[in-house]
This record gives sequence, C-alpha cells and structure tokens, in this order.
Amino acid sequence: MSDKILYAVFGDDEVALNAAKKVTSEGVHVSDVFSPFPIHGIDPVIGLKRTRIAIAAFIYGTLGTILALSGMYYFMIYDWPQDFGGKPNFTFVDNVTSFVPITFEFSVLLAAHGMAVTFLFRNWTLPFMKAHNPIPESTDDKFVLEFRASENEKSLEEIKAMVEAGGVERIIEKEA
Amino acid sequence: MHQEASIREPLILGEKTYKDITDDVIRPIEGKASKLWYIFFTVAVITALYGIGQILYLLGTGVGVWGLNKTINWAWDITNFVWWVGIGHAGTLISAVLLLFRQKWRMAINRSAEAMTIFAVFMAGIFPMIHMGRIWMAYWVLPLPNQFGPLWVNFNSPLLWDVFAISTYLSVSLVFWYIGLIPDFATIRDRLKKPLPKHIYSVLSFGWSGSAKQWQRFEEVSLVLAGLATPLVFSVHSIVSMDFATSVVPGWHSTVFPPYFVAGAVFSGFAMVQNLVIVMRKVMHLENYITIKHVEYMNIVVIVVGGIVTVAYLAEFIMAWYSGNPYEDFIYLSWDAARGPYGWAFWSLIIFNNLIPQLYWIKKIRRNLYWTFLISIGINIGMWFERFDIIVLCLNRDYLPSSWTMFYPTATDIGIYVGTLGIFSTFFLLFTRYFPVLAFNEVKTILKSSGEQYKKQHQDNH
Amino acid sequence: MEYTPSGKLKMSTYIMILVGIVALALGFVNDHTEHHNAFWANLLLNGFFFMTISLAATFFIAVQYAAEAAWAVVFKRIFEALMAFLPYGGIIVTIVLAMNSAGVAHMYHWMDPEVMDPNSEHYDALIAMKKPYLNQVFFWIRTVIYLAGWIYFARYFRKKSLEEDQIGGESFFWQNRTMSAIFLVFFGFSEMFAVWDWVMSIDVHWHSNLYHWYLFATMWLAFIALSLLITYYLKGKGHLKEVNDSHLHDLGKWLFAVGLLWAYFFYAQFLLIWYADMPEETVYFKLRIKEYGGLFFGTALFNFFVPFWVLMSRDAKRNPVFVVPVAILLFISHFLTYWLVFLPSATGGHDHLSFTDIGVFIGFLGAFLLVTFNALAKAPLVVKNHPYLEESKHLHI
Repeated sequence: MSDKILYAVFGDDEVALNAAKKVTSEGVHVSDVFSPFPIHGIDPVIGLKRTRIAIAAFIYGTLGTILALSGMYYFMIYDWPQDFGGKPNFTFVDNVTSFVPITFEFSVLLAAHGMAVTFLFRNWTLPFMKAHNPIPESTDDKFVLEFRASENEKSLEEIKAMVEAGGVERIIEKEA
Repeated sequence: MHQEASIREPLILGEKTYKDITDDVIRPIEGKASKLWYIFFTVAVITALYGIGQILYLLGTGVGVWGLNKTINWAWDITNFVWWVGIGHAGTLISAVLLLFRQKWRMAINRSAEAMTIFAVFMAGIFPMIHMGRIWMAYWVLPLPNQFGPLWVNFNSPLLWDVFAISTYLSVSLVFWYIGLIPDFATIRDRLKKPLPKHIYSVLSFGWSGSAKQWQRFEEVSLVLAGLATPLVFSVHSIVSMDFATSVVPGWHSTVFPPYFVAGAVFSGFAMVQNLVIVMRKVMHLENYITIKHVEYMNIVVIVVGGIVTVAYLAEFIMAWYSGNPYEDFIYLSWDAARGPYGWAFWSLIIFNNLIPQLYWIKKIRRNLYWTFLISIGINIGMWFERFDIIVLCLNRDYLPSSWTMFYPTATDIGIYVGTLGIFSTFFLLFTRYFPVLAFNEVKTILKSSGEQYKKQHQDNH
Repeated sequence: MEYTPSGKLKMSTYIMILVGIVALALGFVNDHTEHHNAFWANLLLNGFFFMTISLAATFFIAVQYAAEAAWAVVFKRIFEALMAFLPYGGIIVTIVLAMNSAGVAHMYHWMDPEVMDPNSEHYDALIAMKKPYLNQVFFWIRTVIYLAGWIYFARYFRKKSLEEDQIGGESFFWQNRTMSAIFLVFFGFSEMFAVWDWVMSIDVHWHSNLYHWYLFATMWLAFIALSLLITYYLKGKGHLKEVNDSHLHDLGKWLFAVGLLWAYFFYAQFLLIWYADMPEETVYFKLRIKEYGGLFFGTALFNFFVPFWVLMSRDAKRNPVFVVPVAILLFISHFLTYWLVFLPSATGGHDHLSFTDIGVFIGFLGAFLLVTFNALAKAPLVVKNHPYLEESKHLHI
C-alpha cells in the first residue's frame, strides 16, 4: 500500500511539543514522534496509551516467587529433608525463614529479565535490527513529528501549513 | 515545565546546546586514543596478566599456596571478595536509588558508575570461584539433578544465598546498564561515517529509533528496574554480611551487620567512583558535565554513609563489652584488638574510615579535587581493612589461646589481589575508550532546568 | 492563609483524651502484674511512641534540608506541627523513668541496687559488670542530653521557619541547613543510646545491635502515616490547594518505602537470631512467640504484605481509597509491634492486650492530635519565602 508521509523536523523539544498540541487540537493525528530523549508530556497529546510493561514485570516476579518457593519445598522438604545445624527441615514453615533471601532474589531475577526481554521484543529492538528513524539527527538534537496521509482527513498540504506556523525547521516528504 | 529553584547550582556549565552535549561526549570515541590512555592501558594489561598467571598457578597447585592456616581459614580471599562487592554497590545506588529520589546530578555519573559496578562485581565473583580450588566443579553450586542421587544444594546456607544474590545482581545490573546504553549507541551509529564502526554500533544499538512508544516503554522500564534494583542493592550486601552474621563466631554474629554492610558498601563504592571520575573528567574534558558540585554531592553521600558506619562501629564496640561475654572482648572492634598484635589493622580502620573522612565537613575540602582524590583512596584502604579486620581479627583470637595465631599473606595472595585491580582497570579503560561515558541523551533532559545559561536567563526574567 | 481546627475536631480530641484517662485509671486498678508494671510500661510505651513520632518529624525535616529536597516544602508546616508533641511526650517518659528510679515502678531490673551487690543473694554478675554504663547517675545525664538536645533542635527548626515567613531571604534556609547536618549527627548517636537505655535495658540480659534501627523504622513510618493522613484531611477540608497529586504520590511512596524498610530490619534481626539459635538471644523472641504468637507474626506479616501488595502500583499510591486505609491500619499495627516491644519485657509475659491498652492509646492519640492541630493553627499552612517554594509548587511527576 502506498502512503505519503510528512516529517516535520524541529530543533527544540518544547517547540515540537507545542506544535503537536496545536495540530492535534485541530484534529490532526500525529502518527509518531522521533526524538533523542523522551519529550515529557507528549504521550497523551499524540494519543499514546500508557504502557503495561510494569504489569508484565509484576507477573514475571510473581512467577519467580512461586517457582522459588515450590522449588525449595521440593528440594529441601519433600525430596531430601536433612538436619542442618540442629534445624531439621521436615516442614516448610520451620524453614521458610531461610528461604526468604533466595525467593526474593529469584523473583527479582525473573521480573527484571522478563521485563527486559519483553521490552526488547515489544519495541522490536534486537541485535541486527534496522533502525527506522527518518533522519539520523533525530537521535542527536532534532525532534521529528510524523504524519501519514492515510491516517489523516486533512491533506498533507494543510498539515504542512500548520506546522510551518509552529516553528518547524525542515519538512521532508516521502512516499512509503 | 519543570521549575528549579534559583539557589541550586547549575549541573551543566557553559553555554551548551543539545548538539554540544552529544559532541562533547562522543568526541573521544571518534578520535584516536591519547598517549596517556595507552600508557594506562599497558600498565593495566600487564598487571592483569600477572594476576591471571597467579590465578592459574593457584588452580594448578591448590589453595595451599595462600597464607591460610587452621585458625585463620578465611582471609584475603574473602576480604577481597567483600571489598569488590562493596565497591560494586555505588553504581546501582546511583542509577537506581538516586533515580527514585529524582536526583538530577546522577545523570552525569551513572553510566561510568554502573560500568564500574559490573566490573567490580565480576572481580568479586572470581574469589569464591577460585576458592573452590577445583573451579571446574563450580557448577555444583547450582541445584542441578546429578548422578549422586537426589542430593541438592543446601538452600539454608548463606553461601548459597550468595550465589543467587551475586548472580542476580550482576545480571540485573548488566541489563539495566545496557538498556540505558541502547539510545546512546543509536546516536553514535547515526553520527559515524566509517562503515565498520558504524556497523558495530548499529548492531549494539539494536535498531533503536527513538519513537514515542519506544521512549515511553524505555522510561517505564528504567523506573521499574530502578524499583527492583533498589531492594536488590540492599539484599546483596545484606546476604554477603549473613555469610558471617548467621554464624556463632564472636564478632561475626551481630544483628546490625546487614544494614551496616550496605552502608559500608556504598561508602567504599562512592570513594571508588570519585577516584575514577575525577581522572576521567580531566582526561576526557568533561568538566562541564561532571562539575565540582557533582563531586561535592558525592562527598556528602560519603559523609552520610560514613556516619552510619561510624554509629554501627560504636554499637559493635559497646555491645561487645555490654554483652559480658569474654570472647566478645577480642572481636575486631574491642580494646583487645586495639592493643593486640593486629592493633595496626584496627587503627588503620579507625583512621581511614572514621577520622579522615570527617575532613569533608569542611566545604573547601569536599569541593577540592585533590583532597577528594586522596581521601577517597583512604576510604578504600579503610574499607579494605574493615573486611580484613572482621575476618582475620575475629578468627585470630580463637577460643583456645593455644590456637592463637597470625595470618601472613603469600605472594599469591597479594598477586591475585593486585591482578584483579589490573583486570578491573583494563575493563574500565576499554569502557572509556569505546562506550559513551555519560548518559548524554539523559543529560539533555536536564539542560533547560539545570544548565547554566538557562538558569541565568530564568533569573534575569524575574 | 490561616487555619483553625474545627470545633468538632477539638471536641473529638477532648473525648479521646477523656477515654484515655478513664482507661489509665481502670488499667491501674485492674493491673495484676507485679508493681503495676503493666501500667507503667503502658505509659512508657505511649509516651515513647508518640514522642518518637515527633522525633521522626524533626529527623525528616532535617533530612529534607540536608538533602536539598524541594518536594515537601509546600506542606512542610504539617511536619513542623508534628514536632510539637516532643516536649509533652518527653515529660511522660521522664515521669515513668523517674518512678522507676524512685523505686515505685520496677521495669528496669538493673535499677535494683541488690543485683549490683556481690554480697546480696540477688547478685547478678552479668548485670553488675554493666555498672559503668547502667547506673542511675549516668543514665539520667544521658536522658537529659537526649531530650534537651531533641527539643532544642526541634524548636530551632520551627523558629527559623517562622522567621523566614516574616523576614524572608535565604539566610534562614542556610541556617536551618547547617543545623540539620549537626542534628543528624546528634540524632544518629542519641537515638541509638536512647533506645538502649529506655527500651533495651528493660531486658537487661538481652542485646541486639540492630534494635535501635528496628525501632527507628517504626517511628519513621508512624510519622509518615500521620503526615499523609493530616494532608489528606486538610485537603478534604479545602485547605492546601497547592498540594497536588504528585505530592500525595510522593507521600504514598514514602509510606511504601519505609514500610518495607521496617520489614527489612525486622527480618534481618529475626533471621540472624533465629539462625544462630543462641539461647541468650532467642529468649527475646521465645517469650513473644510463646505468649503472643498470633499478634507477633500477625503484625509482622501485616506490616510487610499490606503496603507491599496494596501500594505497589502507581495508581494506588495516588488514590486515597487505598492509601488512607493502609496508612491508618499501618499506624495501628506498628503501634502493636511497639506494644510487643515494651509490655512483654516489662511484665515477663503476664499481661495481654486488653481494652485498657486500646483506651490509653486512644487517649494519647487524642492528646497528640490536639497538640498537633493547635501547632498547625499557629502559623500559615503554607510557608512563605522558602527558596524551594516555587519548585515545590511545580512538582510534577
């Protein structure tokens, strides 16, 4: 499917944010933003929902807790109970005090790595991936708003006029 | 827009733009390394090779080449282990705890401090591994099904807790650090012209584009990882302290050990960060980003954690006497230790850890780079002695006076310790050469609130 | 903007105080423990608990200054008001200690001269060897130093803050900052010795090096819970318009963080004593588990799991529906952990939680709130001229 894309390049984060606020208030949809660092407050402007990645981390962590506790129950209580230093481990309750450190560590281990892997896959940032930022400077000091013709009722010409009033530095049009 | 009080000192000096920040940090990577770097690197590599040689000698011959004896059966090995783990606490503290506390000054130093953390924990990991003697059986610490029947590792043992704690800490710190690096690698990728380096940084950057959704997830992940890493920092050194504190050895069995070890770890970690950062900012011309104020902030943290450590020492000293237990009279913090054959180690601990850092109460000294550098070295010596004292001084006065003895390190003890310093320096030098040493994209976010010229403009407007 | 507590609020605190007085009287009459130790221990417990909330307020203000923190400047007056109970709590503690010194109460075994006398049949060598530290003269010198020092610093911080309102300029900020650093050093040592002297020496044979930090976490948490509740209360009454969601979120985070810090201290102390299993140490937990097992483990688990599960999410920390009940419940359950610190030791396990304990707690709470709200009424609810005020008003996270 062929689509026309308009990239509005800004030299300042606040200018870009204000431009985004202005165009969205007039019903224009900003398809994406590329910036060298997160522009605070832009997510609700361009209609991004909050990420649920923290919930994923919580689930991984809970999984770690369950695995660690059940693992230690199996190893220490069920499979081969022993008497260490006068502390026989025949019941779980008598031993759970010393299971706390590993339960904690294992929960953190799974939560952190699970979330990191989820993050990389959801972002589609993995080794040997190709970057798709429109201009290389957008990882340095330029802030780019992306508009797609297919996602907007207004024509790209109209949008172009609007962002030009908003202090844009450069405009790039592309076919995709 | 975030407002910052005018009485706060700027964290970015000079008239900088976003582009300047990128340029200033990446320039050393793009250019050729200086002569000084090569000299440092050569010395570090030679020391590292010497240390590796000593380790191979130890593995080939056996742990007997260390100076351990029947009474003092733990000494330099565990001292060095705890020392390195302790140093490895500053990085995650800076990046995680200070992130939760919204300390902006953390952004200039977190990258290098985290790198230091990872290398230091790696060095720490060497010691318990080679202490096993038969390092090829190191996998036995894992709960793997094995041919001896269902005999599992002992989950009640603090040594096993250590295995889990250190490996979790190392891998989580690594992930935290690398995720922070991804956007910075992308910037380098987009700047470089030569095909091979460009390709390498392109692979390292995982195809990061900096889109809004990526940044949103990035920020959430940083925050949650900080939330996970904060208790992790506390837990790791607490668990290290439990190697001692769960025992019934006088001087080791003390309930204050977990928090007190954490404070001590942060103490030595920050001292090491100071040593590295003070040299780095000079050599790499980063004085505008790592300012005197940054150094002062770190020194204030050093005063605070040093104070906590001092209170804990006093508690240990008085409680040893208060307990009325005669064996407690010979622990590492007691009059008998101060007067005994290890009095020099006792007094080194007190002087380097408790007395000299008090100089930081003087504002001129805590803002002076030379003093800071020297005092930081002193703190690292003092913290090494703390671990040495806890281990050797508590063991050398055994229950039976006939077993009282001294510990003498052998050339292998010393060689391995010095060697780890070499390996550590090698890693750190490589890091400064090829990695962005500042989280420069993060630094850009505070330019408008904490940059010098923006603060001036803001004041003039009022 | 001045604030006056409503008549209803004042009336409630008076009723609470009345309940407390009745409960105290009933408690004294019904106290069947030796030497009315349960009565005295209850008084010390409440005096200490509420006094150390004020102490934690002083500590927290000093931390804010020392750390150059701006977030809490808009509602700093609440922290200042929470310091006001310090002298009153100090008087209660002093009375109980004086009664012990005078031999009316017998909570401190080491105050009995017979245990120090080698010729007496009650001679206890382990207590007698502690005489250089545990003797009445030195004990009282220390007690006076702690109380006088804390009250001095608390009044100083408050005075400079009020002067800053009137006169303005940066000098008051810097004066408070310097004094904060000095106070934190003083606090670090004095809090440790105060806990040893007043609390740990009740179990004179027992000692734990972490005890003073373990108790400190409760002081801190009770203080955070109260400042959070008062902030929500005042906001509900239409005051403190400058306090936004971010400030409340930060208070919620503190409640969460200090709650977990307490759990960390509790676990570190319990684990190490449980693990080493030395009889001279386990005696402390043995008594509590045997006589008060449900309460002991119940409060410990509650103190950890409730903040952990309820306050983990960002939305919960900002939502009064979650934060307010958690703060109230944690305040109560932390009081109960303090009850388990004082009463079992003082009575040897012969006293159990009863309505009189609850009544005395209510009475002290009423007095504490009365003093706090009176202090709040004495100055504008929002500071003026603080150098971080603007930054604090614009807090956004």
